[in-house]
Amino acid sequence: MAAAEPTTRTLPDPPPALAMRDLIVTFGPTRALDGASLTVAPGTIHGLIGQNGAGKSTLIKVLAGLVTPEAGTIALHGNPVAGITPARVEDLGIAFIHQERLLVPTATVGEALFLGREGAGSRFGCLLGGLQKRAEAAIGRFFGIRLPRNALIRDLTIAQQQIVQITRALLAEPKIVVFDEPTAALAKREAEHLFAAIARLKAQGLTTIYISHYLAEIERLCDAVTVMRNGRDVAEVDPRRTSTAALTRLMVGRDVSDLFPRHRAEPGAPMLALAGVSVPPALRDMSFVLRRGEVLGLTGLLGSGAKELVQALFGLLPIKSGTVTVDGRVAHVANPHDAVRRGLALVPENRRAHGLALNLGIRENLTLASLDRVSRRGWLDRVRERAQALRLIGDLQIKAAGPEAPVRTLSGGNQQKVVLGKWLAREAGLYILDEPTIGVDIAAKAEIYRLIAGLAEGGAGILLLSTDLDELLGICDRVLVLYRGAIVSEHPTAGTTADSLLNATLTGAGACARACAETSRAA
Amino acid sequence: MPPSATDRGFEALPGVALPDPAADPEAWLAGGVKNLAGLRSAGSFLLVLAVLAVFAAWVPAFLGTANLGLILAQSSVLGILGLGLTLVLITGGTDVVAGGIDLSLAGTLGLSAAVFAGLNQAGVGDAACVAAALGTGLAVGLVNAVAVLRLRIPPLLATLASMNICAGLELVITENTTISAASPLIDGLGGTGPLDVPVLGYLLLAVAFLFAASLRLTPLGPRAYAVGAHPEAARAAGLSMSRYRAGSYLASGLSGGLAGIASVAFLNSATGGSADMLLPVVATAFLGVVFSRRLVPTVTGTLLAALFVGSLTNGFQLLHVSTYWVNGIEGALILAVVGATAASAKGHAA
Amino acid sequence: MSLVTAERRRLALPAAEIVRFGIPIALGLVLVAFSAAAPGFLTVANVTGVLVNNVALAAIVAIAMTLAVAAGGTDLSVGTAVDLGSLAFITAIGAGQPVALAGLYGLLAGIGTGLFNALLIARLSITPFLATLGTLFIGHSLQQLTTDGGNPVYVPADRIPAALAILGHGSVLGVPLALWLVLIFGVGAWLLLARTRFGREVLAVGTQVEVAIHSGLPVRRILTLVYVASAAIAALAGILLSAHVNAYVPYAGNAYLLDSIGAAFIGTSLSRNRRPNIPGTILGVVLFAFVTNGLLLVGWNFYWQQVGTGVLIFLTLAFAFAGPRPHV
Repeated sequence: MAAAEPTTRTLPDPPPALAMRDLIVTFGPTRALDGASLTVAPGTIHGLIGQNGAGKSTLIKVLAGLVTPEAGTIALHGNPVAGITPARVEDLGIAFIHQERLLVPTATVGEALFLGREGAGSRFGCLLGGLQKRAEAAIGRFFGIRLPRNALIRDLTIAQQQIVQITRALLAEPKIVVFDEPTAALAKREAEHLFAAIARLKAQGLTTIYISHYLAEIERLCDAVTVMRNGRDVAEVDPRRTSTAALTRLMVGRDVSDLFPRHRAEPGAPMLALAGVSVPPALRDMSFVLRRGEVLGLTGLLGSGAKELVQALFGLLPIKSGTVTVDGRVAHVANPHDAVRRGLALVPENRRAHGLALNLGIRENLTLASLDRVSRRGWLDRVRERAQALRLIGDLQIKAAGPEAPVRTLSGGNQQKVVLGKWLAREAGLYILDEPTIGVDIAAKAEIYRLIAGLAEGGAGILLLSTDLDELLGICDRVLVLYRGAIVSEHPTAGTTADSLLNATLTGAGACARACAETSRAA
Repeated sequence: MPPSATDRGFEALPGVALPDPAADPEAWLAGGVKNLAGLRSAGSFLLVLAVLAVFAAWVPAFLGTANLGLILAQSSVLGILGLGLTLVLITGGTDVVAGGIDLSLAGTLGLSAAVFAGLNQAGVGDAACVAAALGTGLAVGLVNAVAVLRLRIPPLLATLASMNICAGLELVITENTTISAASPLIDGLGGTGPLDVPVLGYLLLAVAFLFAASLRLTPLGPRAYAVGAHPEAARAAGLSMSRYRAGSYLASGLSGGLAGIASVAFLNSATGGSADMLLPVVATAFLGVVFSRRLVPTVTGTLLAALFVGSLTNGFQLLHVSTYWVNGIEGALILAVVGATAASAKGHAA
Repeated sequence: MSLVTAERRRLALPAAEIVRFGIPIALGLVLVAFSAAAPGFLTVANVTGVLVNNVALAAIVAIAMTLAVAAGGTDLSVGTAVDLGSLAFITAIGAGQPVALAGLYGLLAGIGTGLFNALLIARLSITPFLATLGTLFIGHSLQQLTTDGGNPVYVPADRIPAALAILGHGSVLGVPLALWLVLIFGVGAWLLLARTRFGREVLAVGTQVEVAIHSGLPVRRILTLVYVASAAIAALAGILLSAHVNAYVPYAGNAYLLDSIGAAFIGTSLSRNRRPNIPGTILGVVLFAFVTNGLLLVGWNFYWQQVGTGVLIFLTLAFAFAGPRPHV
């Protein structure tokens, strides 16, 4: 037997750049990795997909040395490695671009970029110097742009911070780069630039592991993709020969049909009306009407004012002039407390900082906005509170060990359901959703869309701020596009394509169209 | 705004949608950069200058070299302690409960002053006294470091406990009396150096310079700030958190020891009541935050805060205002400065 | 939940519980050691003495501190509220006012201190630690100015009203009044934090204030109430203190500051989910008091007592925080 084999293969295959085998990781009661494996061929872009909680992030944390597996092996370029620590990762030639932006908010771009290896490449080993210049050179080399001089990390936009982080990873001249949801915070055009950079890196022989929720990106970029489910790898496929539907089926274990349910509500009385609202310097002269039973989309680039509009409506930013009418009555919303009393609900973009008290339990988070309904004369009715929480957990299908589990232990999708549940418990009338499906897996996405449709059918008004164009076109009745602080166009979703919406977002085109329409209506 | 201004400067690289500050300042602002921090610390400087100007206008002697030197000397103990605490705040983070704090500094000051004076009275030479005082400070720092990093006791509680121990040991040594001390070193430290400035003033400036240089000119600075402000980022950069934090407690203990020597030199004795320094030290280090552009603890900020508090006391004495006012004014100033900072920070966050 | 994970949880529990019960166990050991070494330690007279003289006032101040800690802050001005309450009370008594009215003045002084803190924290968004530090300094000046640099104010022995003596030394059903007040305030604050809507709102503000804001809670009102309540309770301790010694002693309240911070945080680390809580705080105060007393009884001199207390607290903390940490 042994004699027959060698004749056919003269050159052995190069060993995989990375081979992780049968990893097991347990956090408290949950098994985050349950025998997961990942093999990445050298010089390829390898996709890693799976629902939230499927174990992608844990797998990557093992590779980063942030989590120590209880069992399993790891080999780099055929050499087994044991005991990866964060300090060794760089020497092993691995670099990470994490989902969380791991940058010091009070550092300058230069300091953040060179943290931990300030001396490398500088003339005086142990002394700092010229960090700023070197930072500019590096960012220019990889991205061809420059960031504001002397800006601190916390002054940068999320996209700019992302760029700093990626540059930081590339500076170590790694052999393997791991991107964990790199485009989540990027506008479409910024993402395009990132893809070009990744392609350049591949041409230089770099191995890339690319984690994303956006299947379109995976299909476009990756040479191979590993699908994870419930802490295991369930398949490795060629994304170019696999349909999106098939990938989705692998991730969920079943078909996700009807991702975007159409609600069947007829728009009713005006729920929210803005007339000439200005929030300097971000917004000026904003007017629109949102009716009951309507899902109104809102989109725009960073700096378009869409974010500020949402914050101003909820009382987080002061409105300088103009009137806001809620349910037929002029509303002066000075703070979120006022907003909530008028029936407004906000699902904030940053749910871990603004939406959920991570160390409190599910029950305590669910009733946080409706304590008046579960208390009597100031005393909490613990029986009623628990019942309320259990009902919402059931209705929303929140998957957790129980109503007392701290929400930090939940997956992104389940966390978002808790935020929504907090407002459902109040039976709010007007829901402002700021990127409600960011970082949420596809099955939970579908459930959130179903919830939104259900709310609209129940007569609520929905204002949905999103940069996911498919999402906007999928569940909204109309979409308003903001550009540089003003509404430039309005698109009924029936008959609008993602392309035309994208064009309006990027260029502000359509300003005339809307102005002309208004003039003709006035005439 | 003309749309043609968009993306200027990016022609060479189509597809980049980041706003360029030079081409379009308004869009850049809307994009999130509000560089008010500089204005804010400038405001704090102006307030300080205004107060000093008032003193100078009323009492011309205020600005004399001799008086300025006196202020430096009077601020030296508080300043050195504040600088030690600053290092702990930088590396531990400024969250009072979860972050770094060293409440034992005042206790360390008292204990090492007692050790220094006690040995001096027992006829031990200067070098050995200095070594013992600094060693005492280092030992307290070591205890804190072990308690916080090895035993994982929250810094607030750990250093509170070690402060009690220090205060107790100080009493054991001094038996609640004043131990006077005299030696060539004490005479030297208590005397004046070049430019009529007391040697203690130079000591304070030297310590500040040493700390500032190691934070600004070496990678130690960015790393310490990273460990304190964003531990996740520091860990991801492969930095050893516990090493930097332990270092900060040791340095802080050492400054406590040095402050002990300075205080003996200033008073020619070791006296009780060092625990009263606890809150002024904390106040100085936190007040220093407003003198930095990034609103973080800095060496220069703390130095300025200590000198500012020192000149307040001094100015009031010159103006013959009752010193009973000093604490209140100091408190009100902390509140005014911190309040102004918080107000603009709120605008910043929004 | 699968069988495996259920099993794992059962196994994981004891370790966490050991950490949680570290301080009670340490307290127990300390008590056993002292009662063995000093026969007078575990007598009714000594225990009552410690409870009245060392625990009662410290516990009331620590309850005030716990409210602020629960709302996510630290109230460094509890001592100031004690002092100002005491000053107002004794001044009014000295001016011949009835005890009830004087008590009201004392309480109002506390409420004023609390309102000042609330203005700084809730309106001007100053970090509680720094805001109350400012209040502490201003309060210090205020006391210096009103007492000519810090001289005690005594109520002349011939003008001590009977009601004052009852307040300071009276007892109901054989239990000293001060301990009744600890019980009332302890139970009251415990119910407030653990069982009421307001307590839940305080918890939310203290855990993640941004989330409380984004959930539409009236955060400013909550913070205002917390700091006013904290200062008012502390002022009450000041009134009791004055009634006990028939005098106002400047800066006396600050003696309670560090112990109350220590007790509140020891209490926090005792709770299963690391939340500030009243029973834990009281346990912390009791620990401090009995260690000091025990060392006194085993014959350590005053100076070494301080060292011993520090070392014992240190060891207790080390014991309490040893072992595995909850995954954060």
